[in-house]
Amino acid sequence: MSILQVDAVKKIYTTRFGGNQVQALSNISFEAEEGEYIAIMGESGSGKTTLLNILAALDKPTSGSVRLDGKELSKIKESEIAVFRRDNLGFVFQEFNLLDTFSLEDNIYLPLVLSGKTPAEMKKRLQPIAEQLGISDILKKYPYEVSGGQKQRAAVARALITKPRLILADEPTGALDSKSTDELLRLFSEINRNGQTIIMVTHSVKAASHAGRVLFIKDGEVYHQIYRGSCTENELYQKISDTLTILATGGEQI
Amino acid sequence: MKNGIYRKLAWTGITKNSKLYIPYILTCAGSVMMCYIISFLSVSPTFASVKGGETVQSFLQMGFSVMAVFSLIFLFYTNSFLIRRRKKEFGLYNILGLGKKHLAKVMLIETLIIAGITVSGGLFFGILLSKFAELFMVEILNGNITYTFSVDISSAVKTLVLFLVIFLLLFLNTMRQIHLTNPIQLLNSEHTGEKPPKANWIAAILGTVILAAAYYMAVTIDNPVAAISFFFLAVVMVIVATYLLFIAGSVTLCRILQKNKRYYYKTNHFVSVSSMVYRMKRNGAGLASICILCTMVLVMVSSTVCLYIGAEDSLRNRYPRNINLDVLVNESEFFSDEQTVQAKQLINEVVEENNSEQKSVLEYRTLAFAGMLNGNKIDLDPEAYNTSINMSDIYQVFIVSVSDYNRLMNKNETVSSQEAILYVTKDVEYINSTIQIGECDALKVIKQVDDFADNGVDSMQIFPTMYLFVSDIDTIFQPLKPYAEKNGGEGLLSLHWYYGFDLSCNDETQINIQDQISEKIDLMKQNMGENSLFHFSIEGVAKERADFYGIYAGLFFLGIFLGSVFIFAAVLIIYYKQVSEGYEDESRFEIMQKLGMTKKEIKKSINSQILTVFFLPLLTAGVHLAFAFPLISKILLILGLKNTPLLILTTAACYMVFAVLYMIIYRLTSKSYLTIVSSMKSDI
Repeated sequence: MSILQVDAVKKIYTTRFGGNQVQALSNISFEAEEGEYIAIMGESGSGKTTLLNILAALDKPTSGSVRLDGKELSKIKESEIAVFRRDNLGFVFQEFNLLDTFSLEDNIYLPLVLSGKTPAEMKKRLQPIAEQLGISDILKKYPYEVSGGQKQRAAVARALITKPRLILADEPTGALDSKSTDELLRLFSEINRNGQTIIMVTHSVKAASHAGRVLFIKDGEVYHQIYRGSCTENELYQKISDTLTILATGGEQI
Repeated sequence: MKNGIYRKLAWTGITKNSKLYIPYILTCAGSVMMCYIISFLSVSPTFASVKGGETVQSFLQMGFSVMAVFSLIFLFYTNSFLIRRRKKEFGLYNILGLGKKHLAKVMLIETLIIAGITVSGGLFFGILLSKFAELFMVEILNGNITYTFSVDISSAVKTLVLFLVIFLLLFLNTMRQIHLTNPIQLLNSEHTGEKPPKANWIAAILGTVILAAAYYMAVTIDNPVAAISFFFLAVVMVIVATYLLFIAGSVTLCRILQKNKRYYYKTNHFVSVSSMVYRMKRNGAGLASICILCTMVLVMVSSTVCLYIGAEDSLRNRYPRNINLDVLVNESEFFSDEQTVQAKQLINEVVEENNSEQKSVLEYRTLAFAGMLNGNKIDLDPEAYNTSINMSDIYQVFIVSVSDYNRLMNKNETVSSQEAILYVTKDVEYINSTIQIGECDALKVIKQVDDFADNGVDSMQIFPTMYLFVSDIDTIFQPLKPYAEKNGGEGLLSLHWYYGFDLSCNDETQINIQDQISEKIDLMKQNMGENSLFHFSIEGVAKERADFYGIYAGLFFLGIFLGSVFIFAAVLIIYYKQVSEGYEDESRFEIMQKLGMTKKEIKKSINSQILTVFFLPLLTAGVHLAFAFPLISKILLILGLKNTPLLILTTAACYMVFAVLYMIIYRLTSKSYLTIVSSMKSDI
C-alpha cells in the first residue's frame, strides 16, 4: 500500500532582494510504499533538502501535492501542522539536534511530552526502543557527555518513540565516524525490517547502499532510480557509484 | 587609503552590532551627562546662594565620586559583554589575515568613535539639562528661581578627563582580551559546552535559613536603637541570602520540580523548567545583583522621598511650636513662678509689638536626665552604666507633674506620691510594674499612656524617651540633687521650664520675634545678676527651616538621582542578559520547532521564562522591601519622622512607579529577545 505520494512537486524561491526566482524543484513525483526504505541522492544544490523540507511539512510546494496516508499536507491548517508533524513524522538530523539542556532520556521524551503522554506510558515506550538501540545505560547522561554515535542513536530513539508513519533522515551519517556510521546503518536496516518506513537524504554511497530503493535527483527532477531487488549491499554500492559517475560526467540517461 | 579600511571596519563593527552598541552608547552618554550635572550642581554659585544650598552641595560632591566609581564599574561590565559577543568576529578577521596589531588599530578607532560620540553627546545634554536640574533643586529648596544659563568649564573638563581615562582603560582591557586568545578560540568562544548545573542543597538551605532569620529579626525588633545597629547586619544577611538563593536555591528548586515527574512532564513545564536550570545557573548572580540594586533603589528613594515630603512634620516634631523657649536651671527655686511670670510678660510684649498673637501655648516644667534602665531601676550615674553599654537600654527621662499632664492633655488623672503614670516613645514598651529612679523609692506604674505634648528632644535622639507623670517633681528631685551638682552645676540632671507657642505671621516676622525674645530674656538674666543660675535656649521653626530643607532636599535629590542611575544600570544589565540569552536560545527553539512544537507553545514557553527571569528580582525586591519596612520606619522615627501612613504611601508609590518603569523596559527588551529568537524561519 502506498503511504506517501509525491505528485509533480515544484518549488520556486524568490530571493529577498531583486525578486530573482530560483527554481529548486522543477517536477518531482514518486511514491513510497508502506515499509519501504528509500534513499534520495543528489549533488549539493540538486534540491534534496528542499524536497525533504516539503516532505516534512516544514515548507510548502509552489505547485503539486504531497499526500501522507492520502492526506494532502498543504491542506492541513497552520495551527495543526506542528501537531501533525509530531504525530506522523520522525526526524533524524545530521547535527543530531539534541537539546543540550535535557538529558538523553528527556530529549527522547520531548515529542511525547508535547503530545501530553503520562510519565508511565513514556517509560513503557522508551524501554524496548532504548534496548534495541543500545542506549539504556546512558539515558541519564547529557548530550555533551556522550559520543556522536550515541547522540545519533538517542536522536533515532526520539524519532521512533512517537511510532511515526514515516521517518525522515537528513544526512544521518554525515557527522559520524565510520564505525558509528556502520552501526547506525545496521540499526536503520533493522528498524526497517520491523516495518518502519524510512526516507533518507544522503550524500554517502555507503548509506544509500543499505536502502531498498535509491532515487537520484538532478536539477530538481527525479533523474533516475535503482531498486535493490536481490542485490547485496556491495552490488548496490557498485550500481550507485556507476550511476553517480554518469550523473557527474553528464552521460545520457540509462 | 590604508587607514581607510580600518576606519571602515571600525564603523561597520559598530553599525552591524547596533543592537549591542546603541544601549552601550546610551549608557556611556548617560553616565557622562549625569557626572557633568552632579559636578555642575556641586559648584553652581546660583545654587550655593539658595538657603540650604551649601548643605546639598556637600552631599553632591560625594555624589560625584559615587557616580565616577559607578560609571567605571558599569562601563566595564557592558564593555566586557560587547567584547564577548564580538570575539567571533575578531577571530574571523584574524584568520583572514588581520594581525593583532591591526585588530588593535580597528578597536582603537572604534573606541575613539564611541568616546567622541558619547562624551560630546553626554556633555551636550548634560549642559542642556543642568539648568533644569538646578531649577528643580532650587524649587525643592524653596528658593528663588533665576533663569540665567551658565556652563561650568571646570566641571566639563573634570568629566571629560574622567571619561577619557575610563575609555583608555576599556581599550586596554579589550587589547588584553584580544591578546590572550588565539583565532580558533576566538572563533569558537561562543560555543563552549556547559555541564548541567547540580543542585547545591547546602547553599540553598543556608540561603533560606539566613533569609528567614533576617526577616524574623526585622519584623520582631522594636527598639529603634537596636534597629540601627541591626540594620547593617540585616542588609548583609539579606544580600548573602539573596545571592545564595538566586544561585543555588533556584537551581535546587528546578531540580526538585524535575524530580516530580507528574509536574515536570507537562508541555508547559518541560521546556521551561529544564532551560530555567541553565538560565539560573548563568544568571543567578546577575539577577541577585539586580534584585539587590532594586531593593537599594527602593529603600533609598522611598525613604528620602518620605523624609522630604514629611519634612514639615519632622520640623514640627523637632520644633513643636513656632517659637520654643527652654529654660534650664539646677535649683528648684526657679519653680517659684516669679521668673516665669516675668518671662511670659516679656514674651507677650514682644509678640504684641509685632502685631501677632500667641496660639496653642505649650507650657510645662520637667525634670530631665538620661539613664540606663536596669530591670525596673534607672541608673543615672554614667560610671554605673558606661561599663556595660547596651545602647538599647538607655532612655531619656522626663519627669512631669501630673497636673501639667492633665492640663495639657485634657485629662483628669490622679497620682499618689508612690505612684506614676508612664509613657515611652518610639513604640517601646515598658514591662515592669514598678519603676525606681536612682536612689528614690520605687514608684508603682499605675498606667501607661501613649501620648504627651512633644518637646522636640525625642526627635533629636536615637534613644526612646520615657515620661513619668508624678504627683510632685520636687519629691523626685531632692534625693537626686547630688547628680545635679556634679561637674560643677552642669549636672547629669536638670530642671526645665518649657514654653512654646505658635504664630500666624510670616517667617520673617517670626524670626524677628525670636531674636527680640532672645535679647529680652538675656537682659532679664543679666539683671538678675549673681542669682541667675539659669540657661536658656530659644529655637524657631522659621529660622531652622532652610537648613532642615537643605539636608532633606539634598538627600531627596541624591536619592532620586542615584536611584534613577541604578535603575538605568539594572535595566541595562537585564537588556544585555536578554540579548545574550536570545542568541543562545535561538538554536534551541529552532530544534524544538523542527520536532513539532507549535509556535504558540514556543511563544508561551519563552514568555514564561522571560517573565520569571525578569520579574523574579522585582518580586524579591518587593518582599525584601516589605520586610525591611519595620526597620526603615524605626530608623526614620529616629530621624524624627513619625508619619507611618506617609511612609507606607511613599514606599508603595515608589514600588508602583518602579514596577511600571520595569514593565515598560520589559516590553522593550523582550521584543528584542523575541526578534532574535524568532529569526528562526517565520513562515512555519
